[in-house]
Amino acid sequence: MAARGALLKYLKVNVTSVPRNPTSAAGGDTGLFSVAFNAVRRRFSTEEVRGSFLDKSEVSDRVVSVVKNFQKVDPSKVTPNAHFQNDLGLDSLDTVEIVMALEEEFGFEIPDNEADKISSINLAVDFIASHPQAK
Amino acid sequence: MGASNGPRLSGIQKQVLSLYREFLRVARSKSGEDRCQIESIVSAEFHRNSNEIDRKNFIYIEYLLRRGKKQLEQLKSPDIVGLSSLNVGSSQPKKT
Repeated sequence: MAARGALLKYLKVNVTSVPRNPTSAAGGDTGLFSVAFNAVRRRFSTEEVRGSFLDKSEVSDRVVSVVKNFQKVDPSKVTPNAHFQNDLGLDSLDTVEIVMALEEEFGFEIPDNEADKISSINLAVDFIASHPQAK
Repeated sequence: MGASNGPRLSGIQKQVLSLYREFLRVARSKSGEDRCQIESIVSAEFHRNSNEIDRKNFIYIEYLLRRGKKQLEQLKSPDIVGLSSLNVGSSQPKKT
């Protein structure tokens, strides 16, 4: 408990020092500051990596089932390698609908410029699996 | 026909797809049944226009884009709960 309090105090001091000297390289405290800051950052980033990137095969299964549930698609044609327009006979408007359905399935918003690039199940899986906010 | 990059979209196509996406996003903010109705009307309207209008008829497409943006702004208001459409052409009186 005492160690925890000390750690919290230690972190708090460093956090408040961030806006004051973000780029300064002078002074004895910068070394300490950057070591502590890196430790904090590493801790956060490893937690994020462990907690949020989804397993690719799971993403693939979920994407395939979303596409199969799309009313204009013949479920028997859906394979993990299917291209929306060439293989499934969808147009660009249908593709928008599928990408929107994927947004809802995975609980995050796909920006327009990324959404325009998603034209096959493989591309959708790659994008979602590399996106830390996908749930 | 790039297999990996997908089809190249023109600027105006991107605008149409972006408008369509925004309509579907707004539809999400409405409640259950209204949402379904908005989605089906918007979807039917975009698909109908995409089949009926010549892809080179830029002036008309740009007019529809402007009209769509205005309708989108109206739909964004929380006071607007739904969308309905009226098909005048098909309601021909029956001769008896």
